[in-house]
Amino acid sequence: MILPDPLAVRAAPSGRGALARTNPVAKLLVSLLISLVLLLTVDVVTAATALALECLALPWCGLGARALARRAGALLVAGGSAGLVTALVGVDGGTRLAALGPVTVTQGSLLSGLAVVARILAIGLPGVVLVATTDPTDLADGLGQVLRLPATPVLAALAALRLFGVLAQEWQDLAHARRARGLGDGGLLGRLRDVLGQVFALLVIAVRRGTVLATAMESRGFGAHPRRTWARPSRLRPGDLALLAGGAAVALTATAAGVAAGTWRLLLG
Amino acid sequence: MASDVRDGGAPVAVRARGWGWRHATRTAWALAGVDLDVAPGERVLLLGASGSGKSTLLAGLAGLLDGGPDGTGEQAGELFLDGVPAREARSRAVTRGTARTGLVLQDPLAQTVLARCGDDVAFGLENHAVPPDRIWPRVDAALRAVAFPYARDRPTARLSGGERQRLALAGALALRPGLLLLDEPTAMLDPEGAALLREQVAAVLAATGATCVLVEHRVAPWIALVDRVVVLAPGGGVIADGAPGDVLAARGAQLAAQGVWVPGHLPAPPPRRPAGPAGALLLRGRGVAVRRPGPPEPPLRDVDVDVHGGRITCVVGPNGSGKSTLALALGGLVTPAAGTLVAGPALARRLGPRPARWRPRELVTRIGTVFQDPQHQFVARTCAQELAVGPRRAGLADAQVRERVTDLLDRLRLVPLARANPFTLSGGEQRRLSVATALATRPRLLVLDEPTFGQDARTWAELVRLLAALRDDGTGIVAVTHDEALVDALADDVLRLRAGRPDVGAVPAAGRAR
Amino acid sequence: MSTTVERQNLPVRLLAVAAVPVLAGALIWAAGLPSTPSLFGTPLADLTVPAALVVALGGLSAVGAVAARGRWRVVDLVVASVLAVVGGLFFWGVATVWEPVTRALSLAPPSSALLAGLWMVPGVLGGLVIRKRGAAVYVELVAAVIEALLGNVWGFSTVYYGLIEGLGAEFVLALLLYRAFGPVPAVLAGAGAGLAGGLLDVTVYYPDLAEGTKAGYVALAVLSSAVIAGVGAWALTRALAATGALASLASGRAAQRV
Repeated sequence: MILPDPLAVRAAPSGRGALARTNPVAKLLVSLLISLVLLLTVDVVTAATALALECLALPWCGLGARALARRAGALLVAGGSAGLVTALVGVDGGTRLAALGPVTVTQGSLLSGLAVVARILAIGLPGVVLVATTDPTDLADGLGQVLRLPATPVLAALAALRLFGVLAQEWQDLAHARRARGLGDGGLLGRLRDVLGQVFALLVIAVRRGTVLATAMESRGFGAHPRRTWARPSRLRPGDLALLAGGAAVALTATAAGVAAGTWRLLLG
Repeated sequence: MASDVRDGGAPVAVRARGWGWRHATRTAWALAGVDLDVAPGERVLLLGASGSGKSTLLAGLAGLLDGGPDGTGEQAGELFLDGVPAREARSRAVTRGTARTGLVLQDPLAQTVLARCGDDVAFGLENHAVPPDRIWPRVDAALRAVAFPYARDRPTARLSGGERQRLALAGALALRPGLLLLDEPTAMLDPEGAALLREQVAAVLAATGATCVLVEHRVAPWIALVDRVVVLAPGGGVIADGAPGDVLAARGAQLAAQGVWVPGHLPAPPPRRPAGPAGALLLRGRGVAVRRPGPPEPPLRDVDVDVHGGRITCVVGPNGSGKSTLALALGGLVTPAAGTLVAGPALARRLGPRPARWRPRELVTRIGTVFQDPQHQFVARTCAQELAVGPRRAGLADAQVRERVTDLLDRLRLVPLARANPFTLSGGEQRRLSVATALATRPRLLVLDEPTFGQDARTWAELVRLLAALRDDGTGIVAVTHDEALVDALADDVLRLRAGRPDVGAVPAAGRAR
Repeated sequence: MSTTVERQNLPVRLLAVAAVPVLAGALIWAAGLPSTPSLFGTPLADLTVPAALVVALGGLSAVGAVAARGRWRVVDLVVASVLAVVGGLFFWGVATVWEPVTRALSLAPPSSALLAGLWMVPGVLGGLVIRKRGAAVYVELVAAVIEALLGNVWGFSTVYYGLIEGLGAEFVLALLLYRAFGPVPAVLAGAGAGLAGGLLDVTVYYPDLAEGTKAGYVALAVLSSAVIAGVGAWALTRALAATGALASLASGRAAQRV
């Protein structure tokens, strides 16, 4: 199993990627804002409006069509299945459309299902763009400098993430070593036990490496004093502010559309 | 070059008076009653048996040991850097933008902090609150000082072990430390990487004049660099201190018995018996080609190899030449992408000819593989259970399994560790255990990937004796190694690789004469 | 491994502060809530008992979190981050097999909560291994972020899940003043995380299911988390301590001295 490497240093996207070149914190805040607003309600109009507006902005995200399709494809699959579930077993209302044994599909549940699909896509899409176009080190710089999050946890998480690539290679080595020891066949339950053992071994190696990494970081002054400087300055530029404004506009427009259509319903009551 | 870091912190003087440390999880003291004085600019080599607290002393000097109520242990005595207690020196330095000490550790993979080389070196400077406009010039100076071959934005994931260690050294140097602490920096590097690192350390010390405390167990390459040798006792203090020649003359034999590679007391390999007739053909590979999705090694191509019982084949070559990949293929763990790798009837017995297709429990009784990192192979909770895993999987009865386990525990001196968790063993013990587990199923062919990597002299001698005995019993052995001493001591056949192909320029040795 | 709560004389001031949320909860229960606003489709008055419990327990755990001793050291933070990275990898691995499995199970939604406990393991593990305040929520949150980075199907909402589920485990450990980390506290922490995650799921992912189904889902999530995350994380911590990997951490120090 080839694992994706989240720490692959992202090269600057092509010239069309104005969105991609914005500050990662701006992208993050937009994703959080849109997802929060959309999580408050489940109705087709709000979700579909948000999705449509997001798709309008896609040409500027700097992702090729194929890469986008690959990442968004997984999102579609999840959305589709959740929507199907809701349509089948959701609260029924309106005219009955179909009945398959104990489950019924009504107009109400179908609409709910569509809403769920649109909602999952609308929430997930900004996140997909964020992940595909952001370098984790730049994101950490942004979190520390722009949002003023405490630097120590952010950098510790970044350093541990850097270990991830090493761990992925260790997983391969562990698999080979297990085969050499005679493990790896013996029915489903046996194989499950072997895999769990492999996960445990990876955990031990990871924790050990983490302890050495902590010593190395401490020896370079990490954690000794809360004050630190940043070698790669991260600031919010006009383009970032424009992105934030755009994100807020998407959220507001979608909510307004839902309210206007009368379908907006606060989830909590 | 190295002179760029010259205007930095002044060399530091070290003073220890009755210093001792006890880790919170142990009842015994790691060190006790250490009295040591190091003058500014002096270079000291710390020696001692493994477990004699050398790393603990370095950690103490770096100010990393916290003896307070919230800390990790208990401290006794005093440890001063230029008159300031070591722990305080560290926190004071952070507010001044330079560090008193720089520490380089053993494991290259666990010392890189960030994803790009320049960022990694800048990390220390950021922590010390150096103004941003002065960070990058210092980063560049530090990278030049270690002759780092790449630019600042090179991803660290693509560095070799030796390059990572040089990057770690640059990261420590960027802080202009007055005391350089090196904890076995070359232990996990191949000989070329180790030589390069030694060169850079020598250049840096010459340019900065910093004090240096070095821990290594291979003495010969470093002897020219150091002024003084200090020997520590486990759980105790300093037992010898003086010029290298004197200390090694007085304590050389004792140190060699404890596993240190002392020049003049190197372990003597067993006498070579004349190369006998080759045993049964175990594996034949023709035009073997293997790809690996993981590391950026060149794929292996066009390798021809014959492995016979009763002979030792050593696969040698520079770093990245595909040796480990070949070991995996010969061990039946990866399928060759092209070419043929066929097991002879003596090895395959009733199975098909391709080892990669055998089921694991069939593979384990025919080919045993010993990995470079023993920790990858541990699957059980105690050493005794570990040894039992293979025979059980092969389907042996309980009584037979017990018999084999006790026999191996005896042979490899693991009896006192039978109930210990394999991960808690020392490096040498783990290596012995991993070889024992491969032998538990009595395979005809044993494949070893860097068996002597980072091992001390005693374990090295034991491994050589063990492998020679196995060879005399008729087992075929393939050892992938860059340890030329091992090749000299044991190899009957040598296969040289370079960049994934056989190195036809080298002299093929079909058995070395005395 | 320490399995008993240390019996110490808790300072009087701490007891006084802790009395406040308990009294507030008792007050709510005695007075009852007004019936006009409604939450989750139920009039507020019917939620008096749960509300009182939430106020009392939530306040107590907040007091516990503030009163806990133990500063975070660098090694605590880095090991917690490493656990989170492995946890994120684990999440990603489970997520790739989750969709086909849940699609099979999800035709009867309560049953997809059977494996809900898998999502809570990193948080509870973090709390048990690091033993400092905030460890559970930190590990669970960062693991969720890493899973999102690796590219899973739910995208960013995973992060909210991680935060809330982590808080569920954290509340339980805080209630115990971060002094008890044996099997029972582990099971309770797992149950807490399962409760939080289950409630979040029925609100966000399946908002239109019938009331009874929702209750069944949450109950199953709690049970699954108590077993898989609670017992599982406790066993995992013990096994880790046995390998000596936790020697520089609080959980390693509680292990047998060599």
